[in-house]
Amino acid sequence: MQGIVFSVEEFSVYDGPGIRTTVFLKGCPLRCSWCHNPEGQSYLPEIVKSPNGCIGCGACIRTGFTRESIGACPKNLLRICGERITSDDLVKKLLKNRNILNNGGGVTFSGGEPLTQPEFLFDCLSKLEGRLHRAIQTCGYCEEELFQEALKHTDYVLYDLKLMDDALHQKYTGVSNQKILCNFGLLAKSGTDFVTRIPLIPGVTDTEENLGAIAQLLKEYKVSAVEVLPYNKMAGGKYAMVGRSYTPAFDETAEITPRQELFERFGIQVRIL
Amino acid sequence: MTERIARILDYLNQREYRKLRQEKPEGFVRATCVKEQVKVFKEIVDSEKPLLFLEDTLGFNRYTGCVMPQAEGNLTPNYARVIQKGFDAIVEEIKVSMQKTEDPEKLAYGQGMLGYIELCLNLVEKYQELAKQECPKLYEALLKVPHKGAETFYEACVFMKMCIYFLRLCGVTHLTLGRFDQYMYPFYQRDKAAGKSDEEILELIEEFFISINYDSDLYHGVQQGDNGQSMVLGGFDKDGSSMYNALSKLCMQASLELSVIDPKINLRVGKNTPDEVYEYATLLTKQGLGFPQYCNDDVVVPGLIKLGYAPEDAFDYTVAACWEYIVPNCGADYPNITTMDFPHLVYDVMKENLLDCDSFEELMALTEAAIGKECDRLTEEYNHTQVLPQAFLSIFMDGCIESLTDLWAGGTKYNNFGCHGAGIANGADALAAVKKIVFEDKAVTKEELLSALDADFEGYAKVRNLLKSCPKMGNNEDEVDDIAAKMMDAFQKGINHRDNQHGGIWRAGTGSAMEYLWKGEQCPATADGRGAGEPYSSSFSPSLDVKTDGLLSVIQSFTKYDMTHIINGGPLTIEIHDTVLRNEMGVKKTAQLVKQFILLGGHQLQLNAINRDRLLDAQDHPEKYPNLIVRVWGWSGYFNELDVAYQNHIIRRLEYLV
Repeated sequence: MQGIVFSVEEFSVYDGPGIRTTVFLKGCPLRCSWCHNPEGQSYLPEIVKSPNGCIGCGACIRTGFTRESIGACPKNLLRICGERITSDDLVKKLLKNRNILNNGGGVTFSGGEPLTQPEFLFDCLSKLEGRLHRAIQTCGYCEEELFQEALKHTDYVLYDLKLMDDALHQKYTGVSNQKILCNFGLLAKSGTDFVTRIPLIPGVTDTEENLGAIAQLLKEYKVSAVEVLPYNKMAGGKYAMVGRSYTPAFDETAEITPRQELFERFGIQVRIL
Repeated sequence: MTERIARILDYLNQREYRKLRQEKPEGFVRATCVKEQVKVFKEIVDSEKPLLFLEDTLGFNRYTGCVMPQAEGNLTPNYARVIQKGFDAIVEEIKVSMQKTEDPEKLAYGQGMLGYIELCLNLVEKYQELAKQECPKLYEALLKVPHKGAETFYEACVFMKMCIYFLRLCGVTHLTLGRFDQYMYPFYQRDKAAGKSDEEILELIEEFFISINYDSDLYHGVQQGDNGQSMVLGGFDKDGSSMYNALSKLCMQASLELSVIDPKINLRVGKNTPDEVYEYATLLTKQGLGFPQYCNDDVVVPGLIKLGYAPEDAFDYTVAACWEYIVPNCGADYPNITTMDFPHLVYDVMKENLLDCDSFEELMALTEAAIGKECDRLTEEYNHTQVLPQAFLSIFMDGCIESLTDLWAGGTKYNNFGCHGAGIANGADALAAVKKIVFEDKAVTKEELLSALDADFEGYAKVRNLLKSCPKMGNNEDEVDDIAAKMMDAFQKGINHRDNQHGGIWRAGTGSAMEYLWKGEQCPATADGRGAGEPYSSSFSPSLDVKTDGLLSVIQSFTKYDMTHIINGGPLTIEIHDTVLRNEMGVKKTAQLVKQFILLGGHQLQLNAINRDRLLDAQDHPEKYPNLIVRVWGWSGYFNELDVAYQNHIIRRLEYLV
């Protein structure tokens, strides 16, 4: 079975326990205003250009930014983002480092949104069962049955919660948070190891109201720790690579307020990544 | 750090003190016999005057800015013996040895040793006078050292500083500090027993560390910073007991707090090193200075024993100026005497033989044979190396006083030569590319490939991209890693244990020193896709411009070969973005990564936390970064003080670092 993977990152430090390799699957149903992986949004392969090291020779433009352009770049800066790869090949590649990964680490499937390629994802996860610790990093936006199925194939979940207010969730991510909250409930009751993660976006997700509501939800589900990810001011860095401009719908220069106390009053430990 | 140390550190970083130096015209001759050398030393010592810097209690700073005629020396002197005994006892030992011989040459040599010590003592007397007025603490210490041995940690630091200063005045270029945490430990224990606190000792260590930075601009090798002041901490003894002690930790802490170039910390680790040690060391990495450099006892010690070092010496190993593994006190090895240039050799073999080769195996066999021949040529050429005697340095080397023989003439136990191995990755990548493109896929003909290399790929962009798309070292691909292993095997078998005609043997290594630029400049285009004149990878690392699958694959590629066979030194160098280390989780995981490298059998690791944007900005606005320090090859230097070619090489290593 084939999937579309836009990156396999070794030694990804913030994607689960231990030393891990993260596989980024292409395609995402959300359009978060602060997305720092714009190349992960589209479901299709695309040609991207690394901004570092360009000598401005124009070879890529002359060849029309096609597959042909990749060979024409003298600095080798162009590549196809989103190669088709079989689950067997991917699994083989991941297992090459199992001697390192099997010391408390493992593999994490991220994206994009990994659950948008469910057959491929489950195929890979099944083949890795008992050989590597498997995690998925998900926004949770999918049908309930699919999410239940995912939990059967994974050892660990990194689950994103962004905004509790549905209207704001739609405004900043393009979709409703109903399915996300529903699946979060399933996860919390499933017995599967997981960690909740919140992107801290200034003035959007880091408000007292939003973080207070998330803290309340976590308390209800008896969650003991949360990871918060401060907004990355480099988020816009990769938009040029995919030929887009970055126009966040918030003030990215504003200070972030993690509001740890909102969580800590419920005994929930906050880790800032 | 204490407020006093903060003031002294600021004083160092402002560099204003350098204006105090009296400029003297150069003109000291490079004398070849000991008697003449002592005369030159007298001129140099006479031009120096005592000088104490801000709140300085160690002294022995350079009064003039003149640079001495350089003398060889990339070794670890036995400071411990000298600072424990004192010069009076050493003078006696020299005299006793002189009484036992009538050999006029040996007598003259002994006389030379005595001459050096006398001149040192003369200058010490002048320091006493100054210290009496300005620094009673130093004055009191100088009443004891260097005549008598040091007893307190402070006296030992004063004596050490003095030894370094005088050895520098003799022109020793690369002077390493060795296992400071071991030989200073008795003084530490004595101070602790006398009621001194760790804080007080830390302050002394910090003052000592700062003090060896004052004059480092005067002692540069190829670039500023390349001065040899490496320090080795930790390690295991022959019973497997950890030698990482309270003093090792204090030295790490001092380095962490100060963020200065010297000393360059090398940390000896092994399979039993606890996670806390790696984690504390990673905090040091986070400072961005490029140290500690890790040395794997489990590989280095057996490797040195295989080369013929006595186990007790092998267990005591240190690191020379950059990464060459040497033994202290009794080893007068010359670990960087020459270099095997792998990419050029591979190029030559292809140029001469590719058209006649029917299979890749044939080409590989010819390459291995050529490596053997190159070992013949290098050893024959360098066996004739003549090194000038160094009577003062010999005082610090075990055996020289007893035999009244120079360290380079057999006075010490070991006189081995080390040969670097530059561009292993480029060489292996080139062979792997030809194997795939020419022999397996037949996508390019032999003639076409050679023409492309001749043309430096001008008009052959497609061929070049094909070559670049082949398996590369650093991706954990056996096709290419096996080729590298065969090259290293041919190299070590060709050169290890060969007689060097100086009473020692040859040793193979994986380092490149500055040759990654120098030899790269001379080398035509190679079949890995590297252009003519372009640099090689630095030491034992993936080729430049190779986008690897990541750090895990890199580590696997560079730990496959049994590194005990090729142990002259030369690290895998990897860069991680400094944001990885932004919090405790990143620090812990990076520490785990280092541990995995060690467990996999890597011999040496240089891990640099770096930020490419900051380096680019520093090139445009050097004034904003007067104290930005980067690792260059086996040493760290101020970014602003490096030639642009070295700056660019560092930046280029980072192009694929997101």
